[in-house]
Amino acid sequence: MTLALLIQSMVIGLSLGSIYILMALGLTLMFGMMHIINFTHGAVYMLGAFVIYYFFGQWGVPYVLAFFLAMILLGAFGFVIERCIYRPIKGGIEPTLVALIAVTTFVQAIGYPVFGTLDKHVPTVFHGMYSILGVGISAERLMIIPVAIVLVLGLYLFINKTKMGAAMRAIEQDKEAAALQGVNVNVVNALAFGVGFALAAASGALMAPIFKLDPMMGEQPLLKAFIIIILGGLGSIPGAILGGLILGQIDSIVATLLGLEPAFLLSFVFIILLLLFKPTGLFGHEV
Amino acid sequence: MQRVISLLSLMLCAAVAITASGPGQVNAADNVIKFGVSTPLSGPAAAWGIPHKQATELVFDEVNSQGGIEIGGKKYKLEVVAYDHKYVIAEGVATVNRLISKDEVKYLSILGGAVAKANEEAVNEAGALTLPLAYAEGLVSPKNPLIFHSFPAPPETTTFWKWVKEHHPEIKRLATISPNDDTGWWSIKVETQYTEKLGYETVAKEFFERGLTDFNPILLRMLAQNPDIISVNAAPAGSVGLIIKQARELGFKGRFIHIGQVDTSVVSGIAGKQNIEGMWVHGYVETPLPEALKSWKERYTKKYGEWNATSIDFANPAFAFVAAVKKAQSLEPKKIAQALQTMEFDNLWGKAHFGGKDYYGISNQIIYAMPFSEVKDGVATMIVQLQPPHN
Repeated sequence: MTLALLIQSMVIGLSLGSIYILMALGLTLMFGMMHIINFTHGAVYMLGAFVIYYFFGQWGVPYVLAFFLAMILLGAFGFVIERCIYRPIKGGIEPTLVALIAVTTFVQAIGYPVFGTLDKHVPTVFHGMYSILGVGISAERLMIIPVAIVLVLGLYLFINKTKMGAAMRAIEQDKEAAALQGVNVNVVNALAFGVGFALAAASGALMAPIFKLDPMMGEQPLLKAFIIIILGGLGSIPGAILGGLILGQIDSIVATLLGLEPAFLLSFVFIILLLLFKPTGLFGHEV
Repeated sequence: MQRVISLLSLMLCAAVAITASGPGQVNAADNVIKFGVSTPLSGPAAAWGIPHKQATELVFDEVNSQGGIEIGGKKYKLEVVAYDHKYVIAEGVATVNRLISKDEVKYLSILGGAVAKANEEAVNEAGALTLPLAYAEGLVSPKNPLIFHSFPAPPETTTFWKWVKEHHPEIKRLATISPNDDTGWWSIKVETQYTEKLGYETVAKEFFERGLTDFNPILLRMLAQNPDIISVNAAPAGSVGLIIKQARELGFKGRFIHIGQVDTSVVSGIAGKQNIEGMWVHGYVETPLPEALKSWKERYTKKYGEWNATSIDFANPAFAFVAAVKKAQSLEPKKIAQALQTMEFDNLWGKAHFGGKDYYGISNQIIYAMPFSEVKDGVATMIVQLQPPHN
């Protein structure tokens, strides 16, 4: 591998890493706050992409408006799931897990009759190509980096600088104690669901013009997001960022050097080795 | 209470029995020939599966509208029993098992090399006549006497590379990317063997998992070898669209070629019209269409509302089956197979037959003049029809 190719693959890795970070944000928030592994993350990612397909691609709504619509609609879907599924089964980890898998299966199954069986595509939003260190990157891929930064910062500020964020952190540490201090646990849980779903939708909405759309399109991002949050530490936002960047580089450099299969294998080997020495991941802590 | 439960159980059993046995009895009484179709009706390969099912139904509907097939003075109607396997092997095995065991189908068509290969033993054991649209090594073989491959496969379509060599001598370096399964492995193996004999240099050979969406790293690896052309042999339309789009973003200026079959209108939607310009493709023609094909297009569009050019070649199993049953004058799969090996029949491109004994060791591969197109101004325009290298 020449130095130029290595640099090019690192640039691609950075672009991949930004995509991965976006995918992992909502997932890590919900685990961090509520200790829920949100299996609907991939399905919500897919629904976010389809909101863009219909509102922007088919009905001509401006992309930015459609993007926020996707976040609002799917955020509301998160509230509904919290109210109708999570709350009635009292937030038990295993029942919630099974219920969320059921929701995912249902959403994917109705996806084909509702959205159609052929792959869909969304017109390019950000036109143009840029050359970074000799590698061509499309404007739509470059846009992921600032959006990822804004969302990460926004999430960080929300959790650390707002009253509601403080309530979330309090629930994460001790739900009963937080409730005794006057925190409305149900409201905060609903908000965590809403924000988590909205982040997954934002990720799907941003990827829609870059990739193709089909009802199963969320499966691979879900797998990648799981790898990232395990690598970074379950529930840790800095962990998700570092995990995304590391996985982006592994996927890019190893795939360029050795091919796709070794890259896939190596990401798992890396995680196994890391977990052997640091079972909580890079930034995680004991739950 | 116990009596109520017993009564309900009896009613349930009766309902199950009626559901299970009903259609079989009705079909036997009505003289219906059931033809199974196991194909991807959803997922990334649906662009192949939907026209496969629809073309089969259209051919059968037209036969039925003329009274059906007459065998020994008795008229039979044709019926398609189709299941979606999503191009997932496990689903493919389940759908074929259901067709053979539950629907008691004796004739079927399977789409997808990996799926057809996984069902090889099941269809042989059941003695079912199978007319797949599938690329898989060893599928057409003397050990599968009842499997008749009904679409030109890589050993046939690679002959297009000779045309490329003659008309575009500037192309010398070939890179290939294909799905990581039976279909991809065999397609690439046959293609590279053929092209290397012609003097092409294979500079990259990559495989990807179906469902992959970000091809950037692997394309970077391929493009570092400076290929003149990229073969996306055996990849479905969605993946081809993403490969082309991302390769262009990385600066690739050469051509793309797909000597399997791909719907270039779906590819164009994902990759962008300007990015697929000049692409060569086998088995997908939008223009010019001969009279027989124009008529097929009208009938197809009338029935389904939307034209799909993939249906042209994917109607082969239905045409072959109808002609063979008529010739065999029997519903026995072995007798229909004998007819298939010895007859000529009409498909939408003209005359076709099953041959290829010199290459496969058995005359179970469809042979006809294969159409190849070049995408010109976004439209798949036929540039040549070629006979396979073996008869």
